[in-house]
Amino acid sequence: MAQCAQSVQEFVQDSFVPTVAVLCSADAERVTRRNNLSFPELLRPFCRLTSEGHLRDPNNLVVVVKGLRISVTGVNTQPLQPGEVRKLLSQAVSGCQPPEGLPANVVTAGDYDLNISDRSVKASVPWYSDWKDTFTQLSSSKFYTATTPWFEAYRENFLQSMPASDHEFLNHYLACMLVVSSREAAPTEQFQRLSQEQHRVQHSGEYTHPKWFIPNTLKYYVLLHDISDGDEQRADSVYEDMKQRYGTQCCYLLKINSRAAAAGPAEQMPDPWSQYLQKSRAQSPVSPEASDALSESHPLELDQTSNLGYPGNPSVAVNSIDTSRKQGGLPASSTPVAHGACLTLNDHDRIRQFIQEFTFRGLLPHIEKNIRQLNDQLVSRKGLSRSLFSATKKWFGGGKVPEKSIAELKNTAGLLYPPEAPELQIRKMADLCFLVQHYELAYSCYHTAKKDFLSDQAMLYAAGALEMAAMSAFLQSGAPRPYPAHYMETAIQTYRDVCKNMVLAERCALFSAEVLKSQVKYSEAAALLIKMTSEDSDLRSALLLEQAAHCFINMRSPMVRKFAFHMILSGHRFSKAGQKRHALRCYCQAMQVYKGKGWTLAEDHINFTIGRQSFTLRQPENAIAAFRHILINDSKQVATQQSAFLREYLYVYKSVSQSSSDVTLPQLPLPCLHSAQTRVFFGHERRLAEGEKQAATHVWLDQEYDGEQAQLWAELEEQVVGVANKGSVPIGFQPTQYCLSCHTDNLRYPLAVVEEPIIVEVVFRNPLKVPLALAELSLLWKFTPKDFSRPPGGVPGEALSNEKEAAVTALNDIISTEVIPEFTIGPEETKVARLQLLPHKTGELQVLSVLYSLGTVEEDNGTSEGSRTPSRPTFVRGRQDLEIQGPRLNTTKEEKTSVRHGPDHRLDPVITPPMPLLEVFFINFPTGLLCGEIRKAWVEFVNVSAVPLTGLRVASTHPEFFTFGCAASDLTPVTPTASEHCSAYKTMATPPSVAATMLVSPAMFGVSGDDRPTVAEIPLVGGGLGPGEALQIPLWLRGPDREGVHEINFLFYYESVEKNANHRVLRHKAFICASRSLSVRATACHSNTLPRRGGAEEEGGSSMLVFVDVENINTSEAGVREFHIVQVSSSSRQWRLHTCINPTGDRDSRLASRERGKLCFRATRCRTQEGETHARKYTFADLNLGNEQIVSSTTPCADFFFRRANHTRRQSLTPAGGADDGVTGVVQKCSEVELNIIVLWKAYVVEDNKQLILEGQLHVALQTVGKEACSVPQKEEAQEMVLLKFKPDQPPPVSRPTLEQLSRLIKTCLHYPESYDHPFPQKSLCMVPVTLTLSNCSLAQVDVIIDLRHKTTSPESLEVHGTFTWLGQTQYKLQLRPHEVQRLVLKACFFQAGVYNLGTPRVFAKMAQAGTMCETSQQSSMPALIVINSV
Amino acid sequence: MAVCVAVIAKENYPLYIRSVPTQNELKFHYTVHTSLDVVEEKVSAVGKALPDQRELYLGLLYPTEDYKVYGYVTNSKVKFVIVVDSSNTSLRDNEIRSMFRKLHSSFTDVMCNPFYNPGDTIQSKSFDSIVSAMMVQSS
Repeated sequence: MAQCAQSVQEFVQDSFVPTVAVLCSADAERVTRRNNLSFPELLRPFCRLTSEGHLRDPNNLVVVVKGLRISVTGVNTQPLQPGEVRKLLSQAVSGCQPPEGLPANVVTAGDYDLNISDRSVKASVPWYSDWKDTFTQLSSSKFYTATTPWFEAYRENFLQSMPASDHEFLNHYLACMLVVSSREAAPTEQFQRLSQEQHRVQHSGEYTHPKWFIPNTLKYYVLLHDISDGDEQRADSVYEDMKQRYGTQCCYLLKINSRAAAAGPAEQMPDPWSQYLQKSRAQSPVSPEASDALSESHPLELDQTSNLGYPGNPSVAVNSIDTSRKQGGLPASSTPVAHGACLTLNDHDRIRQFIQEFTFRGLLPHIEKNIRQLNDQLVSRKGLSRSLFSATKKWFGGGKVPEKSIAELKNTAGLLYPPEAPELQIRKMADLCFLVQHYELAYSCYHTAKKDFLSDQAMLYAAGALEMAAMSAFLQSGAPRPYPAHYMETAIQTYRDVCKNMVLAERCALFSAEVLKSQVKYSEAAALLIKMTSEDSDLRSALLLEQAAHCFINMRSPMVRKFAFHMILSGHRFSKAGQKRHALRCYCQAMQVYKGKGWTLAEDHINFTIGRQSFTLRQPENAIAAFRHILINDSKQVATQQSAFLREYLYVYKSVSQSSSDVTLPQLPLPCLHSAQTRVFFGHERRLAEGEKQAATHVWLDQEYDGEQAQLWAELEEQVVGVANKGSVPIGFQPTQYCLSCHTDNLRYPLAVVEEPIIVEVVFRNPLKVPLALAELSLLWKFTPKDFSRPPGGVPGEALSNEKEAAVTALNDIISTEVIPEFTIGPEETKVARLQLLPHKTGELQVLSVLYSLGTVEEDNGTSEGSRTPSRPTFVRGRQDLEIQGPRLNTTKEEKTSVRHGPDHRLDPVITPPMPLLEVFFINFPTGLLCGEIRKAWVEFVNVSAVPLTGLRVASTHPEFFTFGCAASDLTPVTPTASEHCSAYKTMATPPSVAATMLVSPAMFGVSGDDRPTVAEIPLVGGGLGPGEALQIPLWLRGPDREGVHEINFLFYYESVEKNANHRVLRHKAFICASRSLSVRATACHSNTLPRRGGAEEEGGSSMLVFVDVENINTSEAGVREFHIVQVSSSSRQWRLHTCINPTGDRDSRLASRERGKLCFRATRCRTQEGETHARKYTFADLNLGNEQIVSSTTPCADFFFRRANHTRRQSLTPAGGADDGVTGVVQKCSEVELNIIVLWKAYVVEDNKQLILEGQLHVALQTVGKEACSVPQKEEAQEMVLLKFKPDQPPPVSRPTLEQLSRLIKTCLHYPESYDHPFPQKSLCMVPVTLTLSNCSLAQVDVIIDLRHKTTSPESLEVHGTFTWLGQTQYKLQLRPHEVQRLVLKACFFQAGVYNLGTPRVFAKMAQAGTMCETSQQSSMPALIVINSV
Repeated sequence: MAVCVAVIAKENYPLYIRSVPTQNELKFHYTVHTSLDVVEEKVSAVGKALPDQRELYLGLLYPTEDYKVYGYVTNSKVKFVIVVDSSNTSLRDNEIRSMFRKLHSSFTDVMCNPFYNPGDTIQSKSFDSIVSAMMVQSS
């Protein structure tokens, strides 16, 4: 019955059937027992009549009885005790489960499956509308009876177990079969005895059970004949005898057992009994294991979470399946043996025939007769009209009736009529009519009875009559009247509230709900069902709530949420009733509605319950999934709740992992792993400082990623690689990445070196409000060994993995895996863990996931100390995969339109053969320097690998900051300690005198061309470093010229000795704080005086004056006491400082704070012949002011000079490049000097009460005569806002040399005695020889015209100076070769004593080549005074 | 007076839900969630006739044993649900109506906040205080 869907009519009909008692003799019992059946059981499958029966009602109308079923039970069947009933029902329900094998979230609701999970996933966005469609479709398509098998099983069992009641007769025995075996010695006597027995049972009053319908019960005599071992002749004769005695209609000879029981099982016989017997067992597809689980008590002991509202603490209830049914002679221990083993199909037919015969010939006529009888009685008593009248009067009489009735109800609830009371006769008749499906008559009788009972205030009876009236109204074919739902309601209410009879109320509600459902009145049905839930029976409440939920979903517009809510309520009640499977199913179904809708609190609760129920039902996977869900989502629960969730999860998880033998570790939900933020670092963790030594900063995980920095390093590396590869960068060049993160390019497999650690930094986040403890944290990897020394194409080795716990130690000689024993994450904390792998073999490694044990942190409660022993918190082992999504691709159109991600090989390093590994330490490396200060430091290179390294180079962003010295200089102390108090410079004791000069080629200092020497090769002894070797070499540093903090990046490059091996780099970043020292300003002036004859004749002639202004601009007055200018050196290709012409005697010039000093020098041109041949060579000239000469042409002074010089020249020379030819160029060249002044100073610094002497050098590059140059780089003036111009600029005028510039082409000088004594009285004419020296400053031939005729024209000068005349040639035309000096001897003639200005000659100069150009230059004559004395 | 106030988004997930702290929060979540069925039913029944002149206030959605649940739907299909203790008989329909109106105007303010992302849960102090005022008033 469970699977067949009945219509409601059938259901109601089948619930009320004529019942027949059976009284069996012992012999007859033995006959049927051969089939493992009792007699009633034997008949049971055949109790439904297949043909129609007929009978006539009191009005002689024929009533057709269709599909009648009779119920046959043993007469001694005892009604069940309430406790037994409960047990029975719960067995029936628990035995009936949705089909196994389907996933838990597929809803099996009655006759249809709601594949909700599928649909809700598919239609997640316009979710609800889709759902609605689904449900409407489903609900409109099929049956009206939305029930579930377990509910039907429950209902059936419930109705069967209804105790016979006094107020109704429907399940009272109508007839009694007396069964006697034909083998009996005296069958007739036996019949007699049984008949007496029946009479005694019915009338003696000794038995309250069973109840009988009518006093004269129909007795039906059945002679049971066993064909296989009985004497058929005798049976027939006995039957004949019976017929005569009891009449043919009341006797039957039933022949069964046509074959021996031993007949082989080969013959397939239908077994119609199995589905009627042991219903509970036959119906349950529950595996024995599952039923074990059911009977087991809840092993999960947990702190009951307090605020869960619907506490799911299930009391262990009726779960055991021991069949203790004592019903109808059914043996308690029913064997699984086949029933009816001795029966052939013929026997089946005989039994069927027997039932038909019994019903049509015996039972129906009996009922017909009784109906007539009762009808006659009633009509004769004409009580009908009376009761009708009084009832009407009472019902509609007045307003006070209800109050009165309520008051009376209580008194009359227990009212009992005597069995023969006339009021009961009509009810009896109604029941009879109902049983034979004469519903019209039944209805009118019930209706009448109802009125009678109501008038008597017999509420129980009235309720019964109301109920049945409603039922018969419903069952009337053609529906002449609508179903009186209010009858039912009243009946239920009365049963429940007045009579306190929940069983009857329940029955009534079940019927009513069924009827309402059939009429598509789902909301009424739901309300009715919900009303019936009560505290006294959890099972009933659960089932009814579930049915109500199904009603909600079957409504025309399905109420999904109500469905879900009532499913939860139902699940809760199921779990209270101990029906864990059903509870779980309910919660799962409800979950589908709540899932992912933002109702997190509810969702968490459901998940939690599902988890618990699943666990107790030994569905650990589901339990874990459910708990996992609670923990993963950002839960809004309070901390205590979360910790409870967590503990429960861990407990469940642990018990699962212990039981399962699964090799792969499961995924853990907590803490959250931010895979994308994973960083990988290749290399050792650096020691940052070791005593005096300061290690190169290199790269480390603590450094934040900085895009600009990365770019900078990449550029540096590219430069150095270019230099190392002789100027060309390889095509596939990629900057080395030591630390891979989400910012770096992870497209290719990173290279890791064998025996060098790989550190993986993973980011964990704890989403909970409780701390989490992780233990034994390590990495899970897969490794494919590969030998790179062999030619490619070799077979790669077998992949290894440390997944298995046992293998971890064994694999440590391939890859050592670091294990962090303990790792705690605070509430809502984000924390990183660094895990290290150390590969020992080459190959391909893949870091797969993180392995750890998850546990809770034990809070130290003061209270727990005494009672509980501090147990170790539960830890479960699991993993979380590191799945890194690469960057989104966005190059092709296809990639742009779809979302695609590139690969990310951050975690898949290739382990390469050993490579050299360099460590760099700096010794005495300063952090603060004065601008221009020279400091000597040491750098130590250590090759810590087992492979030699070579090709060590360094690239830097600030090449002018440091130098390793030139290869030639090796006079420095060998160790850093020895050099501590020495000067960084190379010195010589020389008294101050004329400058010593030295010619130096810049190539010696590694400076070639105009390039900025960003890459420097580091001189290594023997060209490389062997394994384990260390080398210390000096390093000079010079404070940057600008004050402030400077960030200086060093990139050390080195490579393996082997060819084709990759290079490696080491980074260092230093910060230098430069503070102000001196400011040097220098100006160069043309000197008009020519070098004296003899002294510096060969110097080429021209000279310059150089003024050097030095100012102490140091601001830290406390530290630096004073500066001494020790030496001034020059370096140039054309000029050199010659002598110091400082007027003061203070040679060792000191400068205290804010003081300023001035130095004057004469500079001369270098020898041209040398200058020509060694155009690239620089002349260094040192002018020491003290007694110590610093050799500036050696390391480090010259190094810094060249680094510096290059730096500045590049900046300054670029704009002037174009004006090389023509006059302008020549003229400009003439005023150009390319003189670099190096000011060497010492500073006396007090530091910690110790005086230190610091040294330094400042560079000034003089470029133009008369233009001031400064050592401190001028701050570029902030660019002013330029007006926007709409017209193109006027082209700049053709640059013509200005007069002033031209005037510098030729230098003139008059040589004459300052005073001349002349005896005018003796000789009136005084002739004085004057030499005019002309020198060509330019590099071109110059034509010069000297005109002496010129007179000063200004009147003042006339007054002051007397007149004189030049004698001899008055005009000269000369041609001067480049740098040529010519002297003209002139004669001046004076007439009287006085002061004269000799500066009257006018000199015109003209470029020799530029023929067209007229003379352009006028030598502005200075006053050249001569005193003529008269003696 | 109110024991629970909830704002439900058009897509039927909670934007804001708050209940009297002494009570069982979960229960209110369930109640409010279940009431959405009734809201939907009422809206679909009324909505067909005249969508413009639809009354926003839906009245009593359904009474439970201990509580009365009232509903209100804005034109943008945002639902407000107020749960009131059944024992509190002093509350008139008009007062409930005015509570809803207050709630609605405060909700509008929240929506007008340019920093509020429509569809996010409401985290606004002023809204909170309005709701608290409703819950405190006579509870």
